[in-house]
Amino acid sequence: MQAWPHFPDEETEDAWPRSPCRGKVLSTLPPRRFVPLHGGLATEPWPENATLYQQLRGEQILLSDNAASLAVQAFLQMCNLPVKVVCRANAEYMSPSGKVPFIHVGNQVVSELGPIVQFVKAKGHSLSDGLDEVQKAEMKAYMELVNNMLLTAELYLQWCDEATAGEITHARYGSPYPWPLNHILAYQKQWEVKRKMKAIGWGNKTLDQVLEDVDQCCQALSQRLGTQPYFFNKQPTELDALVFGHLYTILTTQLTSDELSEKVKNYSNLLAFCRRIEQHYFEDRGKGRLS
Amino acid sequence: MAAPLELSCWGGGWGLPSVHSESLVVMAYAKFSGAPLKVNVIDNTWRGPRGDVPILTTEDGIVSQPAKILNFLRKQKYNADCELSAKQGADTLAYIALLEEKLLPAVLHTFWVENDNYFTVTKPWFASRIPFPLSLILPGRMSRGALNRILLTRGEPPLYHIQEVEAQIYRDAKECLNLLSNRLGTSQFFFGDTPSTLDAYVFGFLAPLYKVRFPKVHLQEHLKQLSNLCRLCDDILGSYFRHGPMGISPAGPEMIDVNLRKLTQLVNKESNLIEKMDDNLRQSPQLLPRKLPTLKLTPAEEENNSLQRLSP
Repeated sequence: MQAWPHFPDEETEDAWPRSPCRGKVLSTLPPRRFVPLHGGLATEPWPENATLYQQLRGEQILLSDNAASLAVQAFLQMCNLPVKVVCRANAEYMSPSGKVPFIHVGNQVVSELGPIVQFVKAKGHSLSDGLDEVQKAEMKAYMELVNNMLLTAELYLQWCDEATAGEITHARYGSPYPWPLNHILAYQKQWEVKRKMKAIGWGNKTLDQVLEDVDQCCQALSQRLGTQPYFFNKQPTELDALVFGHLYTILTTQLTSDELSEKVKNYSNLLAFCRRIEQHYFEDRGKGRLS
Repeated sequence: MAAPLELSCWGGGWGLPSVHSESLVVMAYAKFSGAPLKVNVIDNTWRGPRGDVPILTTEDGIVSQPAKILNFLRKQKYNADCELSAKQGADTLAYIALLEEKLLPAVLHTFWVENDNYFTVTKPWFASRIPFPLSLILPGRMSRGALNRILLTRGEPPLYHIQEVEAQIYRDAKECLNLLSNRLGTSQFFFGDTPSTLDAYVFGFLAPLYKVRFPKVHLQEHLKQLSNLCRLCDDILGSYFRHGPMGISPAGPEMIDVNLRKLTQLVNKESNLIEKMDDNLRQSPQLLPRKLPTLKLTPAEEENNSLQRLSP
């Protein structure tokens, strides 16, 4: 049993790296494949067994996490990269940043859409290469708009609105755990989310104001989309994946009231957009219905 | 509407009508849309509100956050966005979200969290404008609020140390400034020749960063390299805040001669130079020893040096 790092013995002929002076160990690198760090891995192709982890689809996952997971799945589909979706109850704790979804590719673990987009770009696949500087700035700005308004509104609705929190969120969030852990974890998460809402100034907003903000955001997205098939005309980009993830989840999730999905349904081009991406990237590829 | 609208906000300094970003956004929007606002600067008497500034007092009540104040002004028919198309309106919302997510943490950090800046510039300035017992409490509370906001929105794992969070937020802020600069290009304002809500927000966030003299300045240096953003701030300051930060200025863009505007900008640059000279001469002994030789220059040579640094 050799301790690591194990220096190559002088007798072995093919110790790696080959030092110019045989018999003397010049480098302390262990003789095994150098594991590249997050930025320098352009040489490895996308493996077949890439997996995406999220929480349990039927009982546990919440609106905002489902939206994020769907956005990543849509993005990977658009890049033509196969990925298997695995549901685990403790996905949130497995993730390196505490957020779902995260992907496990080769020996790298990357979470959240932003870092995943950069990771995939380092592998050589990118959806936004054809955009010029101004369009890239717009794309980033719209992604921030979706994160700022839609995601925050979803979090508010799940955790700060008493009706939804009591009936749906607490039950779902704590479902894999025994009593009293389910209550404790749910209250802890609620406290964290409320603290964050207060820090960004959403603590005093009423539900109506939040729904108005969602409406404004959808109006902006609808005006930007116009009559085009995707946000930047012919080709989808990560912005399309993100918007699809959030809007599809809002439209298909049943909450205590339908107000949120009604706000989105007011804009017919957004509905057509979601339908188009669902048909093109999910049903046609034989993935079956999205839950 | 002829009803008087009163805005309470923090006062100005370093050539700006207000040092507080949100107050500046509201003031700039009011100038662009022609709304008659009476500006009440918060001073160190007990008169007037102090929390949640800026606050608009109307005859119906009080409106408090910048987004709500702007909505209120729009409903009163003071709209700076009437010439924008629907797509440009959508772009405005998106860029404002970008500013709040990427640039605001770094601005908050520069003003309130960075120790050198906070103790030498921000805290004395705010404390001098708050009446006595509160001046010991309020700046500290505002600083803790800013740190809280940064940590809660950005400080999640894997960024475990405050230094890594700082590095990340400054990187994001520089990227955001570059994106804004790319979007502005060579046009005068973001959407053509007349300023709009987006210009008000960009001015509100960038002008304090641009003008206030801080000891630790690397974000300011980055901003100064993006000359079109600096030109935007100077243009707005020169054209809309020429008559002084307080009181109602009836001059609109149509009434200002182009030459007069250029002259005003030159005068502003000169007064900035003189302020810089003043600050350099008065700077505290915390300076590194090797900077002292430049202080010993005669004022004329120093002005020449500053001129050379500023000229494009």
